[in-house]
Amino acid sequence: MSAPQINSAHDVTIDGATTPIEFTFRGKRFRIHAVLSRWCEAGGWWNRISDGKYRPDDAARAVWRVEAAPIGTLTTFELERDELSGQWIIRSI
Amino acid sequence: MSFIHLNVASAYSLKYGTTQPHDLVARAAEFEMPALALTDRDGLAGAVRFAQSCVDYGIAPIIGVNLGIDLGVAKNRITLLAHSDGGWPALCRLLTSLAMVSDNRSPVLTLEFLQRFSHYSSNLYALHGPESPVGTLLTDNRIDAAFSTFNVTRDLFAGNAIECVSHVVAGKGPRSMAHAAKSLIFARDHDIDAVITNAVRMRDRSDGPVADVLDCARQLVPLHPRHVERRNAEGFLKSGDEMILLAGEIARAAGERTPRQLLATTRAWAERALLSPARDIGLGGAHLPEPHVVGAQSAHEMRMVLRTRSEAGINWRYSDSGAIKKARARLDDELSTVATLGFESYFLTVADICDMARGAGIRVAARGSGAGSLICHLLGISGVEPMAHGLLMERFCSPLRRALPDIDIDVESHRRLEIYDMVFKRYGDINWDTPNNQSRCATVAMIDTYRARHAIRDAGAALGLPAMEIDILAKSMPHVRARNISSALENLPELKSLNVKAPLTAMTIALAERLDGLPRHLAMHPCAIVLSDGGLLDRTPLVANASGYPMSIFDKDDVEAIGLLKLDVLGVRMQSAISYALTEIERAQNMKIDIDSVPLDDTRTYELIQSTRTLGIFQVESPGQRELVGKLEPKTFTDLIIDISLFRPGPVKGDMITPFLKARHGWSKAQIIHPDLYEILRDTEGVVVFHEQVIQIIATMTGASLASADEKRRALGDKSGAQEVCDWFFPAATSRGYELPIINEIWELLRAFASFGFCKAHAAAFAMPTYQSAWLKAHYPAAFLAGVLTYEPGMYPKRLIVDEARQMSIAIAPLDVNESDSLYRVEENGKAIRIALSTISKISDGEIASIIAGRPYTDLSDFIHRSGSSTPVTESMILTGAFDRLHIDVNRRDLLLHLSDVERSPNKTISGAQMNLAFTPPALISSGLPDMNSAESVRHEVDRLGIDMSHHLIEFYSDFLNAIGAVRSSQLLEARSRSSVLVAGIKVAMQTPPVRSGKRVIFLTLDDGYGCSDSAFFSDVQTDYASVLYSSSLLLVRGITRRTGARGISINGTGAWDLRAAYETWRTKESTLAI
Repeated sequence: MSAPQINSAHDVTIDGATTPIEFTFRGKRFRIHAVLSRWCEAGGWWNRISDGKYRPDDAARAVWRVEAAPIGTLTTFELERDELSGQWIIRSI
Repeated sequence: MSFIHLNVASAYSLKYGTTQPHDLVARAAEFEMPALALTDRDGLAGAVRFAQSCVDYGIAPIIGVNLGIDLGVAKNRITLLAHSDGGWPALCRLLTSLAMVSDNRSPVLTLEFLQRFSHYSSNLYALHGPESPVGTLLTDNRIDAAFSTFNVTRDLFAGNAIECVSHVVAGKGPRSMAHAAKSLIFARDHDIDAVITNAVRMRDRSDGPVADVLDCARQLVPLHPRHVERRNAEGFLKSGDEMILLAGEIARAAGERTPRQLLATTRAWAERALLSPARDIGLGGAHLPEPHVVGAQSAHEMRMVLRTRSEAGINWRYSDSGAIKKARARLDDELSTVATLGFESYFLTVADICDMARGAGIRVAARGSGAGSLICHLLGISGVEPMAHGLLMERFCSPLRRALPDIDIDVESHRRLEIYDMVFKRYGDINWDTPNNQSRCATVAMIDTYRARHAIRDAGAALGLPAMEIDILAKSMPHVRARNISSALENLPELKSLNVKAPLTAMTIALAERLDGLPRHLAMHPCAIVLSDGGLLDRTPLVANASGYPMSIFDKDDVEAIGLLKLDVLGVRMQSAISYALTEIERAQNMKIDIDSVPLDDTRTYELIQSTRTLGIFQVESPGQRELVGKLEPKTFTDLIIDISLFRPGPVKGDMITPFLKARHGWSKAQIIHPDLYEILRDTEGVVVFHEQVIQIIATMTGASLASADEKRRALGDKSGAQEVCDWFFPAATSRGYELPIINEIWELLRAFASFGFCKAHAAAFAMPTYQSAWLKAHYPAAFLAGVLTYEPGMYPKRLIVDEARQMSIAIAPLDVNESDSLYRVEENGKAIRIALSTISKISDGEIASIIAGRPYTDLSDFIHRSGSSTPVTESMILTGAFDRLHIDVNRRDLLLHLSDVERSPNKTISGAQMNLAFTPPALISSGLPDMNSAESVRHEVDRLGIDMSHHLIEFYSDFLNAIGAVRSSQLLEARSRSSVLVAGIKVAMQTPPVRSGKRVIFLTLDDGYGCSDSAFFSDVQTDYASVLYSSSLLLVRGITRRTGARGISINGTGAWDLRAAYETWRTKESTLAI
């Protein structure tokens, strides 16, 4: 991956809480076979002040590193969910 | 099973936690948690208010502390919790010991300390979290080292648990899921209890930026990932459900099927650490010094001691049999109230301290409502006789209020700390090494919180706002709360040039507002000390501070809440001045005066006050008060009390003064609504001035006791309370036979004045030094003014006091090298005051002492060599004539030349005795230079002494002032009312006090060498003249005279000019005319 690009994960299904189970990526449906790890991130808000953000707004992000496969092929993904908007993105594959 | 948080830092973890204890408790209650822990970093300063909030929300407090610990592993922290059975005193004592035996300002626990004070730690539970020595070793996977470190301190505590914390940070370090799981496995493998906490430092995720700014403010660094502690926003007060989910995740990561065990252990630990707010923390109790401290064997005997001492006081204070009888009856009443409340020790302790002070020759006077108690009067705590002045015990202390009453004592300002020393010697302790030592006193903390200025500075510095911009922004801020910065900015036209919408500035302001009210520093309260029984150290941790007096980390509200006797010892300069005057009268005039027993009906004293020549007199010297005493013409002590009560914002706003004065001078009839109230309102012409009157009116109209009438009075303060009192008052008064219109009228009166009234006891206590200082000024003006010059108790500069002395026909003896003392001395049997050496600008105490020690001096060169004075000081002394008497043949210019000759001579540095043998000074001969003219002399005097000694500054303008027909202040009274006058003088005071209309009025006092003139500038003239009034010190004022009383006259200013500028204009014109 050269330039940082946002790959949206669509139609993410989750278990009772927020753990992802399935998602669609580039038109393919993936099933998560295992959560390898998960963590939360925040901070660095002060680097975004000049972007015109005048409020001390510190978006929190939760990250899952999962193994997922479209029909049999296992792939490692990082799925990120924005805690505020609930939007999911693929961080890396 | 609900979850209980065991590790929570509030904002009392200074510059770490983001949330007030109260808000954390409110949130925990919202989550329906049965208890909440407070485990602030390094101290318990938030503990009392935390416990109070817990009571308010009906949840149980758990209290602990998070402390640095050094076991040779790394920089670590450990959390200690007080256990339910005796843990709180142990926690307090552990912290006191840590503060007292360590030299370090932020001491940490060591193995040596913990072993030495294990009798305290053995009542505490230890939580070994991810930042503890054990947790740190686990991070490095040094499992065996972790276990042996754990065993080192294991037996020092009542119990130990491994604390599993997961903020779900990435990686395997502290606060990661992996670390929490590792901790849980470690605990399981070694058979140690494990608990889960969330290491809380915020209430909400959104508090993260505030935490980051606090991290930076604490370390004085800018925002950077390296400088902020948190990696994400998970360290907030999570709900029980969130915590149970988290526990599940940790347990699964540690290979357990469910978190049941982890949660159950956490719950069990919480239950063992629940504290009782009343029993453990002491809320609502009263812990007064024990009987034996105040000289009795038992509580019963203490009651007898109080009675005996009070009865002895009756014989001392009263002589006429009627008064004695009344006093006995009142004393019985008061003693039974005191007995009901169990406050005997309170009175005896305060009396003991007053006695100690007096024993050391320090003047003491009670202030505040305590003057309403006859016991206080009889024990010598208060000088005011309460019965004759209608002062009520119930206003001070009543069986209906369990709170400890407040006694404040005023003492001589320069000897205040001597009283601290005596109190600490008698009630304190210094054996901090001895386990379970006892102390009964401490000073009190004062919590310094973030207000606008500091908040802007810390937020701006963290964000890297340019220092200049921070400075402009912070300095422009009025002293407002940080959360009001934005609204304050809208009212600051001077900031128009600053772009507050620029991203960085806007962010600074937004963050600064969020720091609002967070504590940033524990300071020492300037005058409060607490006294208690020997259990003080079981109730509050003490810390050492720069003052040298051990300080409770609780503030004045906290110590009151836990029932410690708080005594304010206020330094009052007037008490020093009075005391000094008395010693001078004895020394110089050979008269011994007991000022505390002079009769309160001295005609000369009241005449002096009525004359408005009140400069230097306590409370009544300000221009506004001079106008008021001129109108009111006090003739009795009661009048003085009324005067002091009326001169406050409330009565001015409520216009209580006008009806009072009209009735007083017979211009209108006093309005007393009902004959039953005649006695109560007679002295104040029907106007309700005092709390005591409100209490008595309620009691008279309803038949309620004075104590319950005071409860009603207190309730009148707020709207809902007033409605309740109203609902009770009408039927109660009706049943006593009062007609409805009367009740209506009286109710209106009470309601209107309840908020303006003043505690009469307080005013009476203040009136005493007013009377005493006036008495001294009337009878011994030289000694009194010498005291005023020495201790400067008032608002006026020394030069004006010197001027006042001259006008009272007291000579001002100039500075003299062999005569002047360190302080202002009375000379010539009360006919002169000698200027003190301390008046010389920049002179040090050391120089004064060495000048005095070297006396007498034979001439200037002798002085230069022996006195140890610096050259500038010697120069000042020459210029102000201190050597004039030693050197009559030469003038001050010659002396200055001589000084520089001696300074240049090689033997200058040879000291004392040697010099006398070896040194021949350069000859001092007249150089033929002319002496300074009087204008130059005065200029030097003002520069070096701040006093124009030889001539009044205004004298140089006398031709001009005569030419334009300016009036001297001493002749103003002869001017007709409503005539136009010109006055000139040096500005001695300018005030903008509260006035009824709310508009600004500038009150200006000018001194012209003949006395003072007072002018008032109303808003319509301020546009043109305010700037000159503020900027010039020598002024010429035009105005219309206005009579304010028989001896009072004031000027309504219509114009003001700088006197120098006006003079120059006139002189130019004069010379033009002459040509």
